[in-house]
Amino acid sequence: MGARRMSLPDRMYTTLNYALLLVFCLTALYPFVYFLALSFNDGYDAMKGGIYLFPRVFTLENYAKAFRNPLILNSFFISIARTAIVTVLSVLLTAMLAYALARKGLPGRKYIVFFFFFTTLFSGGLIPTFILYRQLHILDTFWVLVLPSLYNFFNAIVMKTFFDGIPAGLSESARIDGAGELSVFLRIILPLSMPVMATIALFVGVGCWNDWFTGQFFIQNENLQPAATFLNKMISEASFESMTSSNSGSAIQNMNQSQMELRGVTPEALRMTFVIIITTPIICIYPFLQKYFVKGVLVGSLKE
Amino acid sequence: MVAGDVQGMVAGEEVLPSPQRVKKNKTLTRIWSFRYIYLFLIPALVWYLIFAYYPMYGILIAFKDFKYNLGILGSPWEGFRYFKQFLNDSSFYDVLRNTLSISALKLLFGFPAPLILALMLNTISNGKFKRMFQTISYLPHFVSWVVVVTLLQKILSPNVGLINDIREHMGLDPIFFMGNPNLFYPLVVLSDIWKGVGWGAIIYLAALTNIDPHLYEAAQIDGAGRWSMLFKITLPCLTPTIAILLIFSLSGILNAGFDQIYLMQTPATLNVSEILDTYVLKTGIQQGQFAYSTAIGLFKSVISLFLIIVVNNISKRLSDTSLW
Repeated sequence: MGARRMSLPDRMYTTLNYALLLVFCLTALYPFVYFLALSFNDGYDAMKGGIYLFPRVFTLENYAKAFRNPLILNSFFISIARTAIVTVLSVLLTAMLAYALARKGLPGRKYIVFFFFFTTLFSGGLIPTFILYRQLHILDTFWVLVLPSLYNFFNAIVMKTFFDGIPAGLSESARIDGAGELSVFLRIILPLSMPVMATIALFVGVGCWNDWFTGQFFIQNENLQPAATFLNKMISEASFESMTSSNSGSAIQNMNQSQMELRGVTPEALRMTFVIIITTPIICIYPFLQKYFVKGVLVGSLKE
Repeated sequence: MVAGDVQGMVAGEEVLPSPQRVKKNKTLTRIWSFRYIYLFLIPALVWYLIFAYYPMYGILIAFKDFKYNLGILGSPWEGFRYFKQFLNDSSFYDVLRNTLSISALKLLFGFPAPLILALMLNTISNGKFKRMFQTISYLPHFVSWVVVVTLLQKILSPNVGLINDIREHMGLDPIFFMGNPNLFYPLVVLSDIWKGVGWGAIIYLAALTNIDPHLYEAAQIDGAGRWSMLFKITLPCLTPTIAILLIFSLSGILNAGFDQIYLMQTPATLNVSEILDTYVLKTGIQQGQFAYSTAIGLFKSVISLFLIIVVNNISKRLSDTSLW
């Protein structure tokens, strides 16, 4: 196909297609480049404008200050701890659920699937959930960042579909050899399912890392705030700069106080830096899992 | 199936041969033979009972004058008072209108975007470029709305944001994008496309690879051009996928995108930016009107449930594809 000579309109079309896709990709990437440049630039100098691609007055001071600010550090510590714990637990628990649902001939399977599936169609909503957390006494504790994020039925379906594709003979013969369910699960199913595990770990991990909502509305203790919530409090402050509103949390006021002492670092520059720090782990991970998660999306989008 | 049946049969032989009892005991032995599988389900059952079904029971407070110390059951009944309250509240209709407007605009402009991107990517024959473009297109999907809105606010900021910085160099006055109610919908739609188009294209790209290449070869021999192949082969082959994605997005019409809207709205744009989800949050958590907020949430959930059931039936009839 490549060897055939293309006609002029074809060549024009191909060029235009590449050009448009290139523009699209630049649009997807450029905001991050812009923020990268600003995060390495002196905050006061940046206020003059004119920084588009590269820093003008290069400095590492923004990163130094960000990594020395106890509130910022703590928010990342919370996010890392939460993401790690939830990802490991959720992948394991979801795999157990999917393993059970994938077992052919399980009596009552239809009803069991419906029990889980119904929750994706209908939910109690925000306030009943809030009341539940309050009654469980998990509001304003680390638990509220962990427990509610453990299951997602969509992920279980993706895993179940993968398990369905594993030849049944493998686990059958192990069972005939006297292996129990647990050892079939741990020794045969899990090792064969690393691609789907990686995909679900990515989905769960990214979801936790990006979740600002839980920290915003279910946590008041500023030492328990995840990074995404912290960033949101930093931006709400930004949007209120030119508006009248007295609504700002104590975390932000503390931030301002600690920033007063900083020189060369503006709240704005710190915000840019924060965005780069919070985005970097994601940019470093997802491209390597691409070939796996694409399959996961397909399974989940149009189920069987 | 095989293992269970074999075990069930083996166990069944030990049972006395009274037909009814055999049948009953067979089921029980079958269940017994799966006992360890049920153990695997227990953590999930417990979790779903607590975190998904208990809040459904909590919906009762929509019909009650909820007091913490009285509990959900103990609080006095109020009937449909809160439903009447929001149905008689003019701001509720504004919220409903905003929700539907945003959803409709997203559907109109946002729905075709991934299809177009997929068609464009599909014509790229160089695998390396194709993969690179795809990888980059997924990036916005993986970042949080908090990050996207931070990017947006900085780029559009009247205070040395990218756009206004450039406008200033050109001698133009700065525009306060985020505070302008007329610009709110365009910004919502554009940022939604920016974030989701690459991810949305995955499904179409997969459907495109399933089209039989012989169709194109035959068409080429018949002298068909690029566009006639697009309209006569590619799009007809994609129609089932498009139809299903479309009707399922229709069922989500009451979800205008909570994270995005909540984070993008400013006091100046509230008239056009308050949607059902943000209204539920504000009346409920921020103003503490628990019953009222739950009633609105229930109204939304019930309509959404109804829509998804209808849409699923349509889809089942059209194409044998259904969620259940």
